[in-house]
Amino acid sequence: MVLEHAETLPLEIWFPLALLKWLLVLGGVSVAVLMVGWLSVSIHHGPVAGIRIVGRLLAAMVGDMSHISPRRVWALSWLAVRESIRRRVMVVFAVFIVILLFAGWFLDPGSTNPTRLYLSFVLTATSYLVLLLALFLSSLSLPADIKSKTLHTVVTKPVRPNEILLGRICGFTMVGTFLLVTMAAISYVFVVRGLSHTHELTDADLHAVQYRAQSQPAVREGLTSRVHRHRHLATIEPAGQGRIAMEQNHWHDLEIEKSDGKTTYKLSRPRGMLVARVPVYGTLRFKDRDGKDSQKGVNVGDEWAYRSYIEGGTLATAVWTFDGITKKRFPESLFPKGLPVEMTIEVFRTYKGDTDDPEHIPGIPGSLSVRNPATGEMVEAVIFTAREFTTDVVYIPRRLQTPDGKVLDLFDDLVSDGKMEIWLRCVQPAQYFGAAQADVYLRARDASFTLNFIKGYFGIWLQMVLIIGIGVLFSTFLSGPVAIIATSGALIGGVFSGFMMRLAHGEVIGGGPIEAFIRIILQQNLVSDMEPGMRTTVAQMLDVVLGYGLYVAASILPAFGEFGFSDYVAYGFDISGAVILKNTCRAVAYLVPLFVAAYLFLKTREVAK
Amino acid sequence: MSPKKRSFWRKIAYLAVIAVLLGLLSWLGRPSTTGTDRHQGSPGGVLAQLREKEQLSQTGLGQIDPAGETIKLATLGLRGIAANILWEKANRYKMKKDWTNLSATLEQITRLQPNFISVWRFQAWNLAYNVSAEFDDFRERYRWVIRGIDFLKGGIKYNQREPRLLWDVGWFISQKIGRSDERKQFRRLFKADDDFHGDRPVALRDNWLVGKEWFERAEELVDSLGVTMKGMSPLIFRSDAPMCQMNYAEALETDGTFGEVARGAWIGAAKEWDRYGSVDIPTSYGVNIRLSEQERFEKIAKELVEKLEALQPGLREKIIQEKRAKLTDAQREALATPLKDRAEDQHKLAAEATEALKVTNELLARRITGPKRKEALELAKEATEAQQRADVIRRYRQVVNYTYWGDRAKIEQENDTLSARKLIYQGDQALAEADLTAARDFYDRGLATWRKVLDRFPVLIEDNTFGSDMIEVIGRYRRILDQLDDPFPKNFILQDVIDRHGASG
Repeated sequence: MVLEHAETLPLEIWFPLALLKWLLVLGGVSVAVLMVGWLSVSIHHGPVAGIRIVGRLLAAMVGDMSHISPRRVWALSWLAVRESIRRRVMVVFAVFIVILLFAGWFLDPGSTNPTRLYLSFVLTATSYLVLLLALFLSSLSLPADIKSKTLHTVVTKPVRPNEILLGRICGFTMVGTFLLVTMAAISYVFVVRGLSHTHELTDADLHAVQYRAQSQPAVREGLTSRVHRHRHLATIEPAGQGRIAMEQNHWHDLEIEKSDGKTTYKLSRPRGMLVARVPVYGTLRFKDRDGKDSQKGVNVGDEWAYRSYIEGGTLATAVWTFDGITKKRFPESLFPKGLPVEMTIEVFRTYKGDTDDPEHIPGIPGSLSVRNPATGEMVEAVIFTAREFTTDVVYIPRRLQTPDGKVLDLFDDLVSDGKMEIWLRCVQPAQYFGAAQADVYLRARDASFTLNFIKGYFGIWLQMVLIIGIGVLFSTFLSGPVAIIATSGALIGGVFSGFMMRLAHGEVIGGGPIEAFIRIILQQNLVSDMEPGMRTTVAQMLDVVLGYGLYVAASILPAFGEFGFSDYVAYGFDISGAVILKNTCRAVAYLVPLFVAAYLFLKTREVAK
Repeated sequence: MSPKKRSFWRKIAYLAVIAVLLGLLSWLGRPSTTGTDRHQGSPGGVLAQLREKEQLSQTGLGQIDPAGETIKLATLGLRGIAANILWEKANRYKMKKDWTNLSATLEQITRLQPNFISVWRFQAWNLAYNVSAEFDDFRERYRWVIRGIDFLKGGIKYNQREPRLLWDVGWFISQKIGRSDERKQFRRLFKADDDFHGDRPVALRDNWLVGKEWFERAEELVDSLGVTMKGMSPLIFRSDAPMCQMNYAEALETDGTFGEVARGAWIGAAKEWDRYGSVDIPTSYGVNIRLSEQERFEKIAKELVEKLEALQPGLREKIIQEKRAKLTDAQREALATPLKDRAEDQHKLAAEATEALKVTNELLARRITGPKRKEALELAKEATEAQQRADVIRRYRQVVNYTYWGDRAKIEQENDTLSARKLIYQGDQALAEADLTAARDFYDRGLATWRKVLDRFPVLIEDNTFGSDMIEVIGRYRRILDQLDDPFPKNFILQDVIDRHGASG
């Protein structure tokens, strides 16, 4: 799985730092808001009265916040739920069902990785629908109430503005949650059923193949029937055991039954398709061709600079340092073959191999060595042939032999304080291995796919709650349509916040917004420099100014992409508790100021007074 | 007029405008309907008729994909923007080598714009050429090549008036499978690929034959519908199917199949090449030609010139003498000097003199006076036209090596040629098994047989393609002799081939 902007800090270090940053930003913004509020009040009432009015507002806020009544909030939430049902939110559900009904036309179970395709599809479709629903519900509700004067009735009751807001947020969240849970359940059934298949295998499909010496009995091999546009190679050993080769990232268990001299082969449902690997990632560093430390590997000219390359047949190495490697975590009973290392290595070939004999192109060999970072003891553990575009699994045995015959125990001799290094080298000269931090990891165990799937939907839920918060905020002071536009702007801005940040830092080819606009009008390409002159200078100066605005916007808006866990689920990786906690903290960090701001807006509005 | 009345008339005016606009809309955009037994169908409005005339209607282009049509509707007229975004995504996935998502995205584009030919071609090329090359195992590579071909075949369903896709399938099957480094393995896997061939008999599962079928389908489409093959010269386009038959015959021998099977294949190749020679091919000179007609036009031109000269015998010689008299001394001297002895400046002088001495048919005709002048001018014009036509055909023939392949297909059918190739093949087999003595014997006999062939068909010696093939054979023979410590024969039996095509072998 590609983790381009992975958050690498452990939770215990991340949390205090993030909290501090949050408090600083919040403090700064609060002070700024109070100053602006005081100034605007002072213009009408004078500075001293201004202080009094602002102080009163703050006191009222503290009072309102500390006297929130759960009963009233519940009543208002229930009101929001009923209002949502009146607004026919169930239409979204119907749309979802229609999408799923037609999805079979677009999703190809015969693709190279159908699991990824199916999971990405259901998660994306659900998130689009739910976010749109949240956007409309939250933005339209309050303005509609204000317009129809319903809110006037509500505010005459003994309720506080913050309770009205909390009621809305909770109510819409309840509606969204109900829909999301239902969609998740249907999606789960859709994915499992869509991917489920089996193949047929008969004696007629199998033929004898002599791999060993002539005196040894031959194995039997053959292809299964074609289902979902693929077949599997079935191998039946002379002793009678059979196995089915991996295809489209799954395999099937083979059961062989003999009765009345007739053999029947029964293949199970697909195995290994819906997984949630729990990876232990290490930190990556490189060594150059002379074995010296280097920040990065070689750049082979790949357009995508995610991976760094090491040259084969030299001392160039990619070194991963793992932490928390203990016997307890990898017990022999569960990991009898050794420490499972999963790799997604990319190969850059400077030549194709022996083209006269393509039948025996051996692939590019590589080696994995294990090193104790404390003692420096190192031993070559595995020689493998690189397999690209798929996750390859190798096992580091528990007992390893050094070239001088010494036998080392993996955990006793090569791990210190839970730390261990894995050194990856490319063996073949003039060929290169490309690797990134997330490309080599230890597969500690497999978590429950169902639970992981639910966690994936939790990511969508977090996004939904954020959108509801933003929508409710805008609806406190904007009319319905304008609130929708503003919330959509926040959503789109949040989705593209990474791009906006790069734009602000001048890292995007083609210049800033003004320069890009001129290029579009003049149909200029992105790469060549703009013609020097007044126009270019002015455009670039304006871009610098706009860059600050973009920077502020990109920093403030929630990066919605980071809240989604779809990739984890689709690529078969467990969403760790730390990732969920971090994102939940982020969401709360946004929701608290959103709620306070919405309260202040509603409190200062004529209607709620 | 009272406000009430004004309001009434305004409504009437609105209704009238609406009625006119609706009428206009119906005249322009009414859809066509197909007829039934009872009712006659309607040709529809102007736009529907134009679509039908220009063959732009969806049904005219190929099958209609309900899924694609649904997506098109769902984009609410933003199909172009959606396709653009998807293209951008596809490029990003390609950059990241995320083949699953690349395929899915391009699949979406093809649903959205099934008649966007470039997507089908781009993706098929990606799968068959770029993605396949990323794998080490030739079986894996083969599977990606087939994926590319299958993808193209999917595109054909929706673009039944597009010969380019048919041609691409032919090209992928013939060239990608038959010319890759892994061609031996690819051809073997292709023959055994039941999923691809279905119930096609094993004997017909050769990639060159299957490729030929697709090229022929492309040709049939071009001929039957009168559509054009964009971006490709008809000369090349029409040569692909017969060349497939040639390559099939060649591949049979490379795989060790000789005798009547190979002869049959070469007979077929010769026939198809003759057929190719008789196809009308438009040229950039504004005339249509047939490659087989060069000799006919040369003969016509020759006969016409003879007739022209017969009108006033000796005139041509007389004009030459007059022109010669006008040459400078230096030019005359340069012309008299043999080519190899000419100094540097004499080459230019000689060229100028040769040009100055040229007597065109028109010049000859213009010098004829009296009642025969008119006939002479006509004959000159006809002769020049015939010669020009022959020259155009010659130039076009050179592009596809027409003469060589025509000769080759005929010569390869001969017993001696078949036996020469078989002997060299057996020599190669013996060499692979390290039986050097047997290899040398096979080669000796094979080269001697080639000598007989070349003596009968000396035209082969002149051809560069044959020459380079033969130099490779001689190179292998030389290596066998080297390994046996035998000297390379002084009076080598194919020395003339080495002399003509270089001693690199």
